[in-house]
Amino acid sequence: MADPADTRDAALLAPIERTGRGFYWTVGLLSLLILWGAVAYWTQFDEGLGVTGLHQPVSWGFYVTNFVFFIGISHAGTLISAILRLSKAEWRRPITRMAEVITVMVLFIGAGQILVDLGRPDRMMNIIRYGRYQSPLLWDATSISAYLTASMIYLYIPMIPDIAILRDRVRKRKLLYSVLAMGWTGSEHQQKVLNRAIAIMAVLVIPIAVSVHTVVSFVFSMTLQPMWRSTIFGPYFVVGAIFSGIAALIVAMLVFRKAYGLHGYLKPIHFRYLGQLLLVMSLLWFYFTFAEYLTAYYGNEPEEMHVFWAKFSGPFWPFFWGMAVTNFVIPVLCLVRLGRHTIGKVLTASLSVTVGMWLERFIIVVPTLSNPRLPFGEGIYFPTWVEWGELAGSFALFALFFVLFTKLFPVISIWEIREGREVGLKEVEERLLTYLPETAEPRHAEPERGW
Amino acid sequence: MARWGMVIDLDRCTGCQACVMACKAENNVPAVGAKEAVRGRIISWMQVLTEEDEEHPGEVKRFLPRPCLQCDDPPCTKVCPVYATYRDPDGIVAQIYARCIGCRFCMAACPYNAKYFNWYRYQKEAPGQNPDVSVRPKGVVEKCTFCHHRLQKARERALAERREVAPGEYVPACAEACPARAIIFGDLSDPGSEVFRLARSPRAFRLLEELGTKPKVIYLTEGEGRG
Amino acid sequence: MPSPSGGGDMRRLTSAPDRTVRALQWGIAAGTVLFIGAIILWITHLIRTAWRLGDVPSASIGISLVAIPVFLTVLGVGLYVFWGLLTDRSER
Repeated sequence: MADPADTRDAALLAPIERTGRGFYWTVGLLSLLILWGAVAYWTQFDEGLGVTGLHQPVSWGFYVTNFVFFIGISHAGTLISAILRLSKAEWRRPITRMAEVITVMVLFIGAGQILVDLGRPDRMMNIIRYGRYQSPLLWDATSISAYLTASMIYLYIPMIPDIAILRDRVRKRKLLYSVLAMGWTGSEHQQKVLNRAIAIMAVLVIPIAVSVHTVVSFVFSMTLQPMWRSTIFGPYFVVGAIFSGIAALIVAMLVFRKAYGLHGYLKPIHFRYLGQLLLVMSLLWFYFTFAEYLTAYYGNEPEEMHVFWAKFSGPFWPFFWGMAVTNFVIPVLCLVRLGRHTIGKVLTASLSVTVGMWLERFIIVVPTLSNPRLPFGEGIYFPTWVEWGELAGSFALFALFFVLFTKLFPVISIWEIREGREVGLKEVEERLLTYLPETAEPRHAEPERGW
Repeated sequence: MARWGMVIDLDRCTGCQACVMACKAENNVPAVGAKEAVRGRIISWMQVLTEEDEEHPGEVKRFLPRPCLQCDDPPCTKVCPVYATYRDPDGIVAQIYARCIGCRFCMAACPYNAKYFNWYRYQKEAPGQNPDVSVRPKGVVEKCTFCHHRLQKARERALAERREVAPGEYVPACAEACPARAIIFGDLSDPGSEVFRLARSPRAFRLLEELGTKPKVIYLTEGEGRG
Repeated sequence: MPSPSGGGDMRRLTSAPDRTVRALQWGIAAGTVLFIGAIILWITHLIRTAWRLGDVPSASIGISLVAIPVFLTVLGVGLYVFWGLLTDRSER
């Protein structure tokens, strides 16, 4: 092991080699929350969905909100990892892995929400046996399974060289690492295969991700219901998804930066760049929200206006204005000038957006249902401990998956950091030179075309 | 092929709820109990909606009995992921309780809120229930079927007697029970039937017609009794 | 693009546990084929059902025309990696 880089990146291997008390405390706490969710689920399974606050006409509530929210978070992986990889943004190197992990983990949680929501989870297999493509739910099933498959492969492939490092360096779990390393030796052929596969996947995963949240939005916009039937729901949901994804990614990065002492890898500059991205997404989100609500308001269609006013000044006003504040006001105030206190501001904005995007999903799902077209009276929805339990359990399960992942695999891509040090530097310099007018050298032999 | 349809004359409706009760008894619709009712879980395939008359606020209430409207282009069947709800060959929107997974997408998609969910297991099979209608388990969606079992029975009887189903032989429980004869049922494609004639009345309208769901329940507006 | 990863450790042994490792690796590849193959089979099953019931088969076929190639591409990339890495090692 003559490689000097081995000692340089020891911090990245430390969480895998050693386990402190903090880990057990975290797992314990998360397990308690998961237990709450499990008890809630068992109660619901045993007695029926009646234990929730759902009713006629609000037949969808927290679970569908969670579904849309978690699937939205999964878009962190695509944007950061795929787009930054494709655009050769060098600062991506310590970020991509976490983004990809979030995608995979959260997709499981998101898809699980549908199972929690079903009145008859025992008949889940009916979706597979008797599924029909006329229903947007099947579009979701297809799109999400494509995204899950693609993002698992997209997570795994760039992990192979790191697993090989683990196989060679870590004493534990020899068999697991040996198998998953796929015989990686770092030969030229293997690197060619790997880089080509990563490039293909990075391109492929972007349209799949866009399709996922588009068809999630179609669950609502394909119906005839007021404030659901909207042509911009597809892009609106995708923008919101990327927005919440970046926020969740920043939170995760800051948590692991603190827990594992990764200050050397995740520097203020990374948070500044991500913060700027978050700011752009916040403005974009505001633009879509504005367009969506202004068209409804201007059209002044009575049924749409029932829902509109229910959100604006009716029973849902705290959620609606809460959403506006947490998704737009706070992030913009925090992120518009990022010169000082970068990390604190970015963290505040990200936590705020995480809450805000959940509220946004809620404010899309529930008010429409609670304001039926016919004179039934307004349905008010109060979730019970069961729904809160599922919400807490889902978040905790996501966090637990993530923490366990970091105990098995490096949370920052080691080989990509090394590649940055050893190859990236030169490459950037060369690339930069090609952007500039060539002054020193004589002109290339490129034939000049007369205009 | 018959197109079974219903005409509800709002001028005649007194809001007495006889149709609601007849429907509940006929179709084994569970009584959910006071506690569940307060939480908004009443199951009522036929429901009488009330609305304040905008011209005489505080004085006149208007009633709107609402069964499932049996749309010819139903928004609920399109979204069902497992073919548990569909428009059957008689044009009636059916629900297969044994197939339904309880995702409640059809409930969210129905603009008339004509679908109901079994939040708990509200009842078991017991004596006194109508043996022609299955008791729904928990976790599935149920809805008005135009008393489809009555059509099946009428058909079987007609088949045994080697004749066609006669007009008036198949009538849902709500139409049968209405003391004001506000609910008229029959074959919309039979020019001799009363529903055919009433459906073409200048008072006829369909609920949320602009959505293009093509309901087979037709209402006659209040005209004579007002003002 | 050369990469320094792998630590330059080329001394891999061919022993009994090594064979288990290789079997498991091919097992993962086979699992991927099975998993994605099952999804594609499922999609064709849905087309067949829609066709039989006359339940808007055009939607099923339209969606499958996009979905199946996507799954096949993902599978292709996966197999390309498994094949590329595993066979390269056996050449050594």
